[in-house]
Amino acid sequence: VETCVRVRVGAEEYAIPVRHVPEVAELGDVTPVPGAPPQVLGIRNLRGEVIPVFDLALGLGAERSGEPTRIVLADDGTRRCGLAVDAVLAVADLDAADEPVDSPLLLGAVLIDGRLVGMLDVPALLDALAPDARP
Amino acid sequence: MSLDPELLEIFRQETDERLDRIIDTVLAIESATAAEDAVDQLFRDAHSIKGNAGMVGFMAAAKVAGAMEEVLERARAAGALDTELCGPLLRAADAVRGAVEGREESVEAAIAELTGRAADVPDTVAAPEQAPSQQRTLRVAADRVDRLLDAVGETVLHRRRLEHMLGPGTLDADQRLREEMDRGDVLLDELQEAVVRMRTLPLASIVGTFPRAVRDIAANAGREVRLELAGVDTQLDRVILDGISETIVHLLRNAVSHGVEPPEERQAAGKPREGIIELSAQGRGDRVAVTITDDGRGVSPELLEQAEREGSLVDVLARAGFSTATEVSELSGRGVGLDAVKRHVESLGGSLDVWSASGEGTAVTLLLPLTLSLLHVLLFERAGQTYGLPLASVLEALTPDGISSLGGRSSIELRGESIPLSDLASVVGASAPPLPERAPAVVATSSSHRHALAVDAVTGEQETVVKPLGSMLAGVPGYLGAAILPDGRAALILDAAFVARAGAARHAPGPAPAAAGGGATAPEPPRVLVVDDQFTVRELQRSILEAAGYPVETAKDGREALDRIRRGGIELVLTDLEMPEMDGLALLAAIRADAEAGSLPVVIVTSRGSEEDRRLGAEAGADAYVVKSEFDQQTLLDTVRRLANLR
Repeated sequence: VETCVRVRVGAEEYAIPVRHVPEVAELGDVTPVPGAPPQVLGIRNLRGEVIPVFDLALGLGAERSGEPTRIVLADDGTRRCGLAVDAVLAVADLDAADEPVDSPLLLGAVLIDGRLVGMLDVPALLDALAPDARP
Repeated sequence: MSLDPELLEIFRQETDERLDRIIDTVLAIESATAAEDAVDQLFRDAHSIKGNAGMVGFMAAAKVAGAMEEVLERARAAGALDTELCGPLLRAADAVRGAVEGREESVEAAIAELTGRAADVPDTVAAPEQAPSQQRTLRVAADRVDRLLDAVGETVLHRRRLEHMLGPGTLDADQRLREEMDRGDVLLDELQEAVVRMRTLPLASIVGTFPRAVRDIAANAGREVRLELAGVDTQLDRVILDGISETIVHLLRNAVSHGVEPPEERQAAGKPREGIIELSAQGRGDRVAVTITDDGRGVSPELLEQAEREGSLVDVLARAGFSTATEVSELSGRGVGLDAVKRHVESLGGSLDVWSASGEGTAVTLLLPLTLSLLHVLLFERAGQTYGLPLASVLEALTPDGISSLGGRSSIELRGESIPLSDLASVVGASAPPLPERAPAVVATSSSHRHALAVDAVTGEQETVVKPLGSMLAGVPGYLGAAILPDGRAALILDAAFVARAGAARHAPGPAPAAAGGGATAPEPPRVLVVDDQFTVRELQRSILEAAGYPVETAKDGREALDRIRRGGIELVLTDLEMPEMDGLALLAAIRADAEAGSLPVVIVTSRGSEEDRRLGAEAGADAYVVKSEFDQQTLLDTVRRLANLR
């Protein structure tokens, strides 16, 4: 059992372990960063800290149904960023993610009310979101 | 001993300040109005002057200050300074000032008077429980200072938000409020400066032992070496300073033992017997470059060649802890080589760069982060977004009188100099509506390159902490970081070096990329091969041409150049005349005789300026001839551009 933040991204639902989520915030004023790849929505000032904000839908390849409204802060111990999501649904204790999935960004999935909720592998996700250094 | 004038000036100023304070304090003691810790203060000042003067080689000044220190030490132990000693101390202070200014005639008299009078004054034995408070340094964990700094940064932002909310009209309306805000400004400035000072120190604070260390290492290694210092007042985070002190000593040691040749060898090579090692520091945006340069033998051509193949001299040298000396001497830091230095600098968040030319010397540069960087930035807008450039990288902000356009490229004229102009949006790669009529331009400057950015509006100036975009956006080029605006939004701070590069790349002579929306018919810039046996000349030409947008490759002699040309893709050749293996004329002849490459444009760049050479070059089929003595960027670029257009 792990306490997780459940979020909606397009038509899909994902869960992020709260130990990786220091905070949930409004989307706020995100400054685009020209030259960055599309999954980078921009940067945002969060109480004096400059946080990169990523489009979780693009990162996961999910269908987008509307504009993101919230940022879930994700922290893997060495890096911190904002994940833009369509909605934050709940914070809840979830059973072990033992449904198999074939995404390297997910630890597994949990079945909740007949829906498959993907459990995010935060370090792997952050690796995938960060653009590669260009020469 | 020759000293960097900047360091000398710092020493003079500091000594002046300390002497002024000594005089004030002595006068206060004489008139019984001195503070409780006056004698401690005097002692510390005399002690510091002695140390500094000795370090920079003012031995007479150091000697007087030493005598003062001795007298004051006893006074401190006694708990008070006998007023009998006030006069002699004042005259000693004057003697120090004189000695620093080069007048040493009063030195001996001042010392004699001071020590003579001190011998007459009875020592009062200090009670042991009255231990003086010698230790006035407070050790604070760095993270506490960091937290303080963050809080100050937040307060500055809070203040800007307040100003923003109140607006200028309100401030005019309420006199008391305005006065209170002004007072707050002053306090905040002081607070900010105090915190910044807590975290940063000049490089000078760690160089004190270096001249001595270099002298000792040189004596041990049988070298004649002079250490020169430059830019040592450059401020660095003290955590980083602590971390690099030993690294610098190691690099100095390497420079002495493995860089500078023995005096006889130098003489034979036509160099002065005495080698020069320079330690210099220079701010570069949000980084500080600390460079150790020697004019010694450099690394071997074989290693340079290997480095060129592999792309990094640092890695080649670091790999095996290479040593260019045949024998590793006792002091050269056996076992701990450049690999350790590299790892260490990287662990501090910096990087290491090595430049070397055989026979000419080596330069090792530590590019260190300035974790704390309060920068003055100029802010401007494009497509509804605010950007900034450090003021240090801004030559000028102006509304250009006229823009000249040629072949889809624009430029403005500034004091007789033509500066290329690009839309900021196309430089960073943003989509944006067209610029307004008479759009203002911000002229960015980075080393020798200048580039003007057209923007919608220039909005102002701000002193700000530039926050890094963080490791997750490290792969996105072009930005130093972000600053927080008064309204709470984050503004991107541009890297002037990137602006100059990107601007130049989309500028002369190639087509602007699709994002720029123009000049779709201009030809691709030709690939240029630079042929010269001297590394510095090659790299100089490479940097000039690359900045102008040409792809550049290099070769170090005619043979290598010909091999490269035969593999195809080279569209223009710049070659030196005198080179080992195959010289420039032979290369030219070989090119002209080649069935495929026969019509390749060839420019001869040489130090020979004689008519005879020109004739030989022309007969061998050179398209142009640039003499190095009249060599300047513009001539070279004009020549290359002319030939590129003839293709």
